[in-house]
Amino acid sequence: MNFKTTTAFGLGMLALSAVAVQADTGDTLKTVQARGTLNCPGDIGSYMGFAEVDDQGNWKGLDIELCRAMTTAIFGDPAKANIVPIDWAQRWPSLQSGDIDIVIKASGGTRSRDTELGLQFSMSYYLGTTKVMAHKELNLASLKDAEGGSICVPASTSTERQVASYLEAKGIKMEIVAIEKNEEVEAAYFSGRCDTYAQWGPVLAIAASQSEAPDSHVLLPDVLALEPEVMITRQGDDNWVDIANWTLTALIYAEQEGITSANVDEIKAAPPSAEIGKFLGATPGMGAGLGLGDDWAYNVIKQVGNYSEIFERSLGQGSPYKMPREMTALWKDGGVLFPLVVD
Amino acid sequence: MTSAARSRTGLKRWRKDYFGSPGAALMTLFSLAALGAILWVLVDWGLIRATFGAEGNQETCAAGGGACWSVIAVRWRVILFGIYPFEEQWRAALACGTVALVILLSCIPRLWSFGRLALIWTLGTALFYALMRGGVLGLAPVNEQQWGGLPLTLFVFVATGVIGMPLAIGLALLRRSDYPVIARVSGWIIDTIRSLPLLSILFTCAIVLPFMLPGFLIGEKLYRVVFGAALFFAAYQAEIIRGGFQGIPSGQEEAAKALGLSYWQRMGRIVLPQAFRLALPATINQFVIAFMETSLIVVVGFMELLAAGNTAFKTGDWKFAYAEVYVFIAAIYFTFVFGLSRYGAYLEARMNTGHAKD
Repeated sequence: MNFKTTTAFGLGMLALSAVAVQADTGDTLKTVQARGTLNCPGDIGSYMGFAEVDDQGNWKGLDIELCRAMTTAIFGDPAKANIVPIDWAQRWPSLQSGDIDIVIKASGGTRSRDTELGLQFSMSYYLGTTKVMAHKELNLASLKDAEGGSICVPASTSTERQVASYLEAKGIKMEIVAIEKNEEVEAAYFSGRCDTYAQWGPVLAIAASQSEAPDSHVLLPDVLALEPEVMITRQGDDNWVDIANWTLTALIYAEQEGITSANVDEIKAAPPSAEIGKFLGATPGMGAGLGLGDDWAYNVIKQVGNYSEIFERSLGQGSPYKMPREMTALWKDGGVLFPLVVD
Repeated sequence: MTSAARSRTGLKRWRKDYFGSPGAALMTLFSLAALGAILWVLVDWGLIRATFGAEGNQETCAAGGGACWSVIAVRWRVILFGIYPFEEQWRAALACGTVALVILLSCIPRLWSFGRLALIWTLGTALFYALMRGGVLGLAPVNEQQWGGLPLTLFVFVATGVIGMPLAIGLALLRRSDYPVIARVSGWIIDTIRSLPLLSILFTCAIVLPFMLPGFLIGEKLYRVVFGAALFFAAYQAEIIRGGFQGIPSGQEEAAKALGLSYWQRMGRIVLPQAFRLALPATINQFVIAFMETSLIVVVGFMELLAAGNTAFKTGDWKFAYAEVYVFIAAIYFTFVFGLSRYGAYLEARMNTGHAKD
């Protein structure tokens, strides 16, 4: 997303690359349990729908909810999540220095992060695409039709690179208008400065839904880039990655089986299958291998909710953004989300 | 010239200056019209067509067509206090009041003695810290990472000044030491710090230092960052004070020596007071810059005033109202900085009593 590379960041990373190897990961779960809180990144400001602050100064959003889910898996109490306000540029240094225990910050799994920064990923919890919005009156069927027009992009972000390489690959000639801040890019597009506006899908959808005339804009079918958003940990602590993956599986599995925060108690009392009984901790076996209690998944569903509940109140119908699930739906609804097998 | 005499001739001067020739008159009228038009647009946007009150939302504001001050009414606590726990925000407000009071008190010339100022600042700092951090007197502890908004900005500014100023005096004195090694080393320290960008100093203090320091020295990130900012401030301020030193005729110090005054007496009673008076305009300038630069700590993960403002409007309901939030924050900055520079002007006038050139 918006990882603006500042001079300071470059300098910091330079110093970090030298010391990153030394950063001893140890047993993250033990560190977290001893501290009594799970430290996750928030935002320095807000990333709408993923990490934002409500009127009372509480964090909310999809990334925050995932952090709360993982906190609940460990402590049985979502309030033990400690959301640290950090900037995009700081996520990796902060993770390496131990300021935060995991990065859940709309960040994709990339080769360089995996192999050069020494990080490790969970399964994907959100499939992000870079898309293009256009003024409806231009009657564009795809980006190809916008040849010779202009496209607004947020400056010095991965989106800018994606747009440039997509246009080059497709041989489309457009004027790229790169503008620094998201609000300004949006203002430029909505005021008619650009014919089209390229942005990471959710930000684009939010921009459209919050604009003065949502119906006068269309999303073009072009997908400029695909980015699976993942939970990211330091390399070398396998159990910690397992906990991230199984937290995610618990959320998705519960949605698949129709277990919600409302009905989880009834289902635990009379589990329809042995598998679900074990999942909710009615029979033992769910937690031991992870170093957690057997009822951790029950706690997560009871106190945070399943994936659908989290999504709907962060980005979907329960939020101001009203975003559809699209590809981030369950496999049986035509999406790409699937749980691991709870056996 | 008395002020009464000045105002009597003022009208004549005005006429001569602004309506002296047809061209000048035309220019004056045109400028007035332009200013009036700008003012009208601002008043129209900010007051006449604006929406006030917490009930306003995107639709009612769009219908009004002017500014949407509802965003301030609803989100002011996020702007002022960031993510400081909601139920505890009275403490953050009190802490801001404490800082303001301490600053006001130390602006009163009658309280200008080392003992009194030290007492005010020690008490003020202790009270501020107890309120913000909690953990004493039955107050719930609040982690520094959750500090935000105005109290954080004020804390960083005040701490930068309080730590940076003595450091600056020390560095400046060392730099004019009679021992060449000391003078040169402190010169190098100052020049090194001055040749690094503040951003990279902050970043190093916040993120890189923990890798290099032994565990017991690391401390909370906020204090490392404040230390970095103070170091930066001190390097510049030391040079400003040195400029003040150079404005003092060397005969004064020699005369003091001849009278048998010790080093500290010479510095404390003869050199430093005069150096400060000479360096005052530049010092005030440096303080204003330090206040503005507090907003840089956002890059190392602190939700100071400007970042808290960003947080306030970046949410589904208010993302259209960013201009209003920025205007609100600009007003806060303006209040502080304008106050600071007016106070500086007052100090200059006061200190120059008996020294005025005209």
